Amino acid sequence: MKAQFKTLVAALALLFASAMLPAVAQYNNFQPTKEAVQEDKLLRQLKDGDRLSGRISIPDHQAASLIQPQGQSWRDFHQNKLPTIGGVVLLGMLGALVLFFLVRGRIKIDHGFSGQTITRFASLDRFAHWMTAGCFIILALSGLNVSFGRMVVLPLFGPETFAMLTGYGKLAHNYLAFPFMAGVALMFLLWVKDNIPNKMDLEWLKQGGGIFAKGKHPPAGRFNAGQKGVFWIVIAGGAVMSVSGWFLLFPYMAPDGVAGLQLFTTVHAVLSVGFIAAMLAHAYIGSVGMEGAFDAMGTGEVDINWAKEHHAVWVAEEQAKARSVPSNSVPAE
Amino acid sequence: MLTKRKEAIAGRARLSGIAAGLASGVLDRRSFLRRSGLVAGGVAAIGSLSLGAVRKAEAGPVAAGVKSEIKKNVCTHCSVGCSVVAEVQNGVWVGQEPAFDSPINRGSHCAKGASVRELVHGDRRLKYPMKLVNGEWTRVGWDQAISEIGDKMNEIRAKSGADSVYWLGSAKFSNEGAYLFRKLGAFWGTNSVDHQARICHSTTVAGVANTWGYGAQTNSYNDIRNAKTIIFMGSNAAEAHPVSLQHVLSGKEMNRANMFVLDPRFTRTAAHATEFVRIRSGTDIAVIWGMMWHIFKNGWEDKEFIAQRVAGMDLVRAEVEKWNPEETERVTGIPGEQLKRVAETFAKERPSTFIWCMGGTQHTVGTANVRAYCNLLLATGNVGVFGGGANIFRGHCNVQGATDMGLDITSLPLYYGLVEGAWKHWARVWEVDYDFLQARFDDVPAKSGRPARTRKENMELPGIPSTRWFDATSFKADDVDQRDSLKAMMIFGHGGNTVPRMPDMIKALEQLELLVVADPHPTTFAAISGRKNGTYLLPICTQFETDGSRTASNRSVQWGEKVVNPIFESKDDYEVIFRLATKLGFADKMFKNIKVENNRPVAEDILREINRGGWSTGYSGQSPERLKAHVRHRDKFDLVTLRAPADVPEVGGDYYGLPWPCWGKPEIRHPGTHTLYNTNLHVKDGGGTFRARFGTVYEDKKADGTSTTYNLLAEGSYSKGSELTDGYPEFTFGVLKKLGWDKDLTEEEVATITKIGGANPDAVSWAIDLSGGIIRVCLDHGVLPYGNAKARATAWNLPDPVPVHREPIYTPRTDLVAKYPTRPDGRQFRMMNAGFSVQKAAVERGVAKDFPIILTSGRLVEYEGGGEETRSNKWLAELQQDMFVEINTADAAQRGIADGGWVWVYGPENKSKAKVKALVTDRVGKGVAFMPFHFGGWYQGVDQRGNYPKGTDPIVLGESVNTVTTYGYDPVTGMHEGKVTLCQIQAA
Amino acid sequence: MARVKFLCDADRCIECNACVTACKNEHEVPWGINRRRVVTINDGKPGERSVSMACMHCTDAPCAAVCPVSCFYTTADAVVLHSKDLCIGCGYCFYACPFGAPQYPKVGNFGSRGKMDKCTYCAGGPEDDFSTVEFEKYGRNRLAEGKLPLCAEMCSTKSLLAGDGDIIATIYKERVMKRGYGSGAWGWKTAYKETVAI
Repeated sequence: MKAQFKTLVAALALLFASAMLPAVAQYNNFQPTKEAVQEDKLLRQLKDGDRLSGRISIPDHQAASLIQPQGQSWRDFHQNKLPTIGGVVLLGMLGALVLFFLVRGRIKIDHGFSGQTITRFASLDRFAHWMTAGCFIILALSGLNVSFGRMVVLPLFGPETFAMLTGYGKLAHNYLAFPFMAGVALMFLLWVKDNIPNKMDLEWLKQGGGIFAKGKHPPAGRFNAGQKGVFWIVIAGGAVMSVSGWFLLFPYMAPDGVAGLQLFTTVHAVLSVGFIAAMLAHAYIGSVGMEGAFDAMGTGEVDINWAKEHHAVWVAEEQAKARSVPSNSVPAE
Repeated sequence: MLTKRKEAIAGRARLSGIAAGLASGVLDRRSFLRRSGLVAGGVAAIGSLSLGAVRKAEAGPVAAGVKSEIKKNVCTHCSVGCSVVAEVQNGVWVGQEPAFDSPINRGSHCAKGASVRELVHGDRRLKYPMKLVNGEWTRVGWDQAISEIGDKMNEIRAKSGADSVYWLGSAKFSNEGAYLFRKLGAFWGTNSVDHQARICHSTTVAGVANTWGYGAQTNSYNDIRNAKTIIFMGSNAAEAHPVSLQHVLSGKEMNRANMFVLDPRFTRTAAHATEFVRIRSGTDIAVIWGMMWHIFKNGWEDKEFIAQRVAGMDLVRAEVEKWNPEETERVTGIPGEQLKRVAETFAKERPSTFIWCMGGTQHTVGTANVRAYCNLLLATGNVGVFGGGANIFRGHCNVQGATDMGLDITSLPLYYGLVEGAWKHWARVWEVDYDFLQARFDDVPAKSGRPARTRKENMELPGIPSTRWFDATSFKADDVDQRDSLKAMMIFGHGGNTVPRMPDMIKALEQLELLVVADPHPTTFAAISGRKNGTYLLPICTQFETDGSRTASNRSVQWGEKVVNPIFESKDDYEVIFRLATKLGFADKMFKNIKVENNRPVAEDILREINRGGWSTGYSGQSPERLKAHVRHRDKFDLVTLRAPADVPEVGGDYYGLPWPCWGKPEIRHPGTHTLYNTNLHVKDGGGTFRARFGTVYEDKKADGTSTTYNLLAEGSYSKGSELTDGYPEFTFGVLKKLGWDKDLTEEEVATITKIGGANPDAVSWAIDLSGGIIRVCLDHGVLPYGNAKARATAWNLPDPVPVHREPIYTPRTDLVAKYPTRPDGRQFRMMNAGFSVQKAAVERGVAKDFPIILTSGRLVEYEGGGEETRSNKWLAELQQDMFVEINTADAAQRGIADGGWVWVYGPENKSKAKVKALVTDRVGKGVAFMPFHFGGWYQGVDQRGNYPKGTDPIVLGESVNTVTTYGYDPVTGMHEGKVTLCQIQAA
Repeated sequence: MARVKFLCDADRCIECNACVTACKNEHEVPWGINRRRVVTINDGKPGERSVSMACMHCTDAPCAAVCPVSCFYTTADAVVLHSKDLCIGCGYCFYACPFGAPQYPKVGNFGSRGKMDKCTYCAGGPEDDFSTVEFEKYGRNRLAEGKLPLCAEMCSTKSLLAGDGDIIATIYKERVMKRGYGSGAWGWKTAYKETVAI
């Protein structure tokens, strides 16, 4: 409301000014040589985020920008900040996982495998997961390569091969972006109802998910708070990656031209390292980190003991559901 | 200026080597893919995807090892005359190099000049002759086209007379082409032979010639380097003549010169001025008189100069009296103090030059404007000096030459006029009977109360100006002072969107029985009307595909070499004119002294004929041999003086391009004239005086019966080394005899003079003396053959002998119309000029209320003229993709118009409208809009791309400004009003 | 060989676009790619100046710094060139370039960026001098012919200067001293971390 009011005032003021002061806006008589702009002065006067721009007759709006100092900040981001952030986040996460493994080891099923399984993820669930995950891996690798490959990979292959590799990486990145986005959307639809945070999650979090102590398992529904966290990271992160990535895919549609693109690459890059770090942890706990966990996305069938330990409430619900199934569906004994 | 590399780089770091070294032995692309498994299965498609294709070259590169020929020609766009250096391999123009050796452009070009190579690769050129058959464009052969056209012309001639065929020529002709075209008109038997000068500087030519003798730029672009004060008025040279700014800005820097730009629009030229003065469009005379008011008031005028060399300044002084600062500001909008500053600087910081263009000339008062400018120069003594003068920047590459060659409804070649003596002169040059020529013309019966005309009278009467051919077509035969109205248009190299009132033009176009467009492009003429038949398109090549000379604005004549052969089936103007003349049956007479090879007249021979007849303007000394020598020795000419040192072989002592007048025969080696009327030089060094063109005295009879006699000859002023130390009239054999100088003539010369003179040899003037003897003798005595006169501040033969301010026909200042009305209606050029009635009606109808914005027009640097050629050039077209209207920020805000948005521009006549993009800018003042005039192909919101023959549509199309421009014609030349009308603008 | 540079004297530039079409002509640059362009600052207002801009061939070029595939290289004359064989059309150089020099044909996936194209200072590319493939990818190699960039050679008012940085700086300096005004060596501070001291 306040903002609207401000705009209105500004518009009125403009109207008033143009009505009252035509002579000022007219520029009738002046001394062009003496009054010429000075580059130095213009650059000094530039506010943060401003470009030195003017008019150009070709229809390419970007071309009207003469000097954009933001290029230098973007360069600084790309060359210095991003590697630092990436290094800290990714190597930090890797280190943390290694450390965790060393300390905690593989989390076992306390009661061992029962031999009896329960369906955790149907094939559609698993298709959604793996389509997204598969794309993600290639997107992550090609993305990391574009950002850091020059430091790490180029010396191994030489410029030509590396450029070709990176070129195909870019292609893969461009094309796999679409199934990735579809996967994220599908996962959202499939799982959102079980990922609404509730009171149980607080308790789970309070106990640290029982992850740091053996034999301790806070109750959880179909998804515990940790998994919900992963879900929301994937959904929110995926959404932001999609939006920022969309304009990088279609650069000529980007709002605000190069400034917009600079923002989108920055967001895309920073978020992606966080995203990758999170997915590393997710992948760890879903595979080597925990006995029995991989089956959930592998076959879709998990051991009932594993399920009872980690998702007691969910198992109870599932079993209740099974009992309530109309009797005619089960042959009478 | 630029540093050149001494040698090619040897030790350049080459990535290719490094890259290859690294890559080899590692993995090639294919094996990499195999190994990585990327080729397998579903991703196989990637292999066919482009990683970002590399473009294909279109013409070029310059192949190594193939012999490159260098061809030198002249840019075919504006009148600066920039040299073009073409690299040709195997008959293909592969590269364009800077012509550093040219003193005119020193390697430089503008956007147009730097892209001329495209013209001869142009895939949008007209490729073969075509005709409309029931509305369909159909390919025909040359022979068929010429034969059908000729038959139709003869039919029209028999039915309606020779005057019913209009010959619209081109400022893009070479001199030789222009001359042949004028000659063709003469042999056909009409004076309706015109070209673009009508719509650009016809008023300049009339105004300037009526002031001091010749209608041309007095100095040169290069000479502006000498100026201390420069005024641009109605000239946006930065866009129209970009390379001229090299000289202007250098001069401005070196001399710390004052540069004033007086214009309704803050142009790219104005951006470099030391001071910009915004004027109201169409008030030039008021501005100039306002300046001169200060000059006379403060005694800043050059009294000695006026006394010696100017006649009638007292009458001007009387008019100037009325323009005190208050009245001037009321009319023009310029504060008195500012105008005083401009006036004082111009008068005191000399030499001062005055530059004008179409902002001054394209008005109902165009000739008067020009005369006012001349008066400012005369009052301050700035004519005939280096660094001063009237630097009139002309438009097209050869508009000066084409004007010189008489593509003009009022004259035969070289300004001889249409009088009997002129016809007889050219009949002698052409070696045809005067009677034959006369018989070609119509006699005109008495009509509508106007007396009949004999063939001879008709032959000496000016034709119809190109600005009004469509009125002459659609008016009833009784309203056109000739046998019949127009039935056929022969249009060689002229755009169809260049004259106001296009809705009226389209109607006339549809009434024509025959329309022939001979041009490299179909032009707007071909696409705009609903014609179904009787329309022919003849593909003409550009000047790069033929040879010949062209005259730059500074009167320098430059020879252009053929770069490549005409592309597709196009032919040059010479050949097409010859074929037409053959079909019409007078080729043998017309080309009697011109060699024709394979149907193509030889350019050098045409120029020699021009030399043989062009005494009056000094077109006699520029033989093809001399011009070619100038091209060879271009680097020898000085940048500022344009003169080659005396010791240079072939061209020593010459001014570059032998700027006319280049007196006498080539053998006497006159150097040409860099600065006209310059008394500080000997006539043999290009010196001069004002031309004695208007007699020796003038008796100005006043209404009260008294009269004042003016001496029109100079007093105490003469050119350096002159044996006559006072004013003198033009030379005839008789005058020579009186001075006893006839002894200096050779026997041969006397024989020629006697032969020409017949019974009265004494009357043979220098201008018709085919021997060149009178001129030669004059030069030896240090005098100008044309005499030594005063310039006329008052031109008694013009409608307004002293220019008076007159409001534009469509003016926003209706309050001023009563005091400053336009001239009364009158018949001019065979038709009624009803300007006064139109103005009166507009005021009474309150047009200014409904159409409150002044609409003016002008050039863009990327395009030229009607723009068909430049809008078809992909390198240029990309830079201006939309027709637009410049509208002031305040006007746009008021109308809710956004920059880049579509708007309708409405004109006050014919319910006309144009849909264009808005360019919201403060270049134009409040209440003023500007539209460029190069666009066509859209009409009142409708895209007409489909009307062009397939593949010949220009890349960029757009509304023509002339759809919404309006009525208004200069009474002296028929110049249209192209710079002030009214319009309304609304968001579309 | 000394370091070559561009310098646009905006007090001479009249936005005639000769530099633009000369470039198009010399290198047959396709529609939509503008290796050089002219921008007008303060259009229509007091202080208006036009500046011709292209790749400035920066010292410590940002494009080269950010290129993921390291496709840029600097010649002995300090001309910044790139290899279209290596370029993947990612657009990073465009984000980093202060002057908007990198251009992309819209031939990539989904009509996005193809391989980057930019001013070569008329110095070709990594291919053999005067080879057809060099011309097709990068345009003519005037520098190897002993000529300077055509945009500057054809500049209508000698506003755009090209050549040895020190020499063109001297020319500019002399001009400013002579005429008493100068709006600056546009882009020099940004590109070369120095300016022409008057």
